[in-house]
Amino acid sequence: MSRAAASPDTISALYAGHHGWLHAWLARRLGCSHRAADLAHDTFVRLLGQRKTPDLGEPRALLTHIAKGLMIDQWRRHEVERAYLEAIAHLPEPVAPSPETRLLVIEALERIDAMLRGMPARTREIFLLAQLDGLTYGQIAERLGTSLVTVKRHMRAGFVACMAAL
Amino acid sequence: MEGASAAEPDRALLEEAADWLMRFQCGDDTTATQRAFEQWRAQSPAHAVAWQRAEAVSETFRRVPAELGRRTLDGLARPGRRRALHAFGLAAIAGPAAWLAWRQRPWLAWQADLATRTGEQKSVELADGTRLVLDTASAVDVAFTSDERRLHLIEGEILVTTARDPSSRPRPFVVTSAEGRLRPIGTRFSVRQLSGHTRVAVFDGAVEITAAGGQRRTLSAGSQAGFRAGGIGAVSSVDAAAALWAKGMLLARDMPLGELIAELARYRRGVLRCDPAVAGLRVSGAFPLTDTDASLELLVKTRPLALRRRTRYWIDVAPRADGMTRGG
Repeated sequence: MSRAAASPDTISALYAGHHGWLHAWLARRLGCSHRAADLAHDTFVRLLGQRKTPDLGEPRALLTHIAKGLMIDQWRRHEVERAYLEAIAHLPEPVAPSPETRLLVIEALERIDAMLRGMPARTREIFLLAQLDGLTYGQIAERLGTSLVTVKRHMRAGFVACMAAL
Repeated sequence: MEGASAAEPDRALLEEAADWLMRFQCGDDTTATQRAFEQWRAQSPAHAVAWQRAEAVSETFRRVPAELGRRTLDGLARPGRRRALHAFGLAAIAGPAAWLAWRQRPWLAWQADLATRTGEQKSVELADGTRLVLDTASAVDVAFTSDERRLHLIEGEILVTTARDPSSRPRPFVVTSAEGRLRPIGTRFSVRQLSGHTRVAVFDGAVEITAAGGQRRTLSAGSQAGFRAGGIGAVSSVDAAAALWAKGMLLARDMPLGELIAELARYRRGVLRCDPAVAGLRVSGAFPLTDTDASLELLVKTRPLALRRRTRYWIDVAPRADGMTRGG
């Protein structure tokens, strides 16, 4: 019935027909041929990995749509990295994490940022109190002056949103 | 029949997985619960996939220390934040004690009048004709008033070529850093803000340093010195090649590899490290700063070195394992 992704044959036809065009389009936008090549490559990788069969009626529209999404993701990842470096800049030297730890944490934070995207503010607040700050559901209910049932409803919604974003 | 799509969990399954996560999070892990959970998970491949995702979510959060995670997420651009920073930025200019607070908040650099990102260099001509080159990841505030022409270096490095003030009543030119102030006398010089101290190199003319603590000293062309608030360090000689960074070039003469890599790292996003085993290796050559990939390629081609790429943003410069065929 519903196939997992566009077949590799379709993709290679798409690649042959439009890769050069996409690279040129990105290079114009980014003003950098190397980054454009990376992004063009990532666009096709993303297309191969898509869970749902993409609509291939307008291949160039589809490719630019994916590429724009990737550009935004990339910008957002830089933002996360920047915010993290800013956060650790306050730490005294001996406490500051090693480069290895940094990379692991930045990677996790990027994923968390992506998972939280689109989560309603209230859900996000409750979800972070539990997942980051380690508060129990009871403590959260007390702090926010709400019921345990409400906290659990938001937690479930939060978990589902995160899993769907993975 | 490839199976990948068959195992794709739907929303209802994700909700069930979430319920299990929540039960465990509440501390409910009796043997009975465990057994019920195992039965649930074994129902279909899609159940197993749903649980894998649930675990990936909790694992991701576990990797992040609470407070740092909070600060990072709160620090991401959201409406209202910029304005708050601005208010603080203005308050911080108040007095010497406030400079410390300023230094510890590098994000103020984004509020600066002139700034460069990592790997970027910028050349500007100021209103009075002074030429300013900003090196990678640098930030400067420009405050020209009727009494003085002042530059404040927030971070990074600048090369200043002063001009004679064209106004009828010439105003003094001043560069300040976290540790003190500099008064150039018809000159070309560079200033670099390092952690806890400032380094000045004079290429033409002279520069008078006044450390925040009051110590004063004049540097003439061809000399350089570092200073802290408490005092000025030893003066050493510097040649014109040290200003080549402003032309996007680093000239190394018998430079320890570790130092060279640390310099190149300033121009790159992500992590660039030197294996301690080769940090002492002496290298010479002209390395492009605006294309550090090319610089690294040059190193690898001319010296017994190899680049180990751990991720796209993490490169280690290591000894080359010539003739080694061992895997891994």
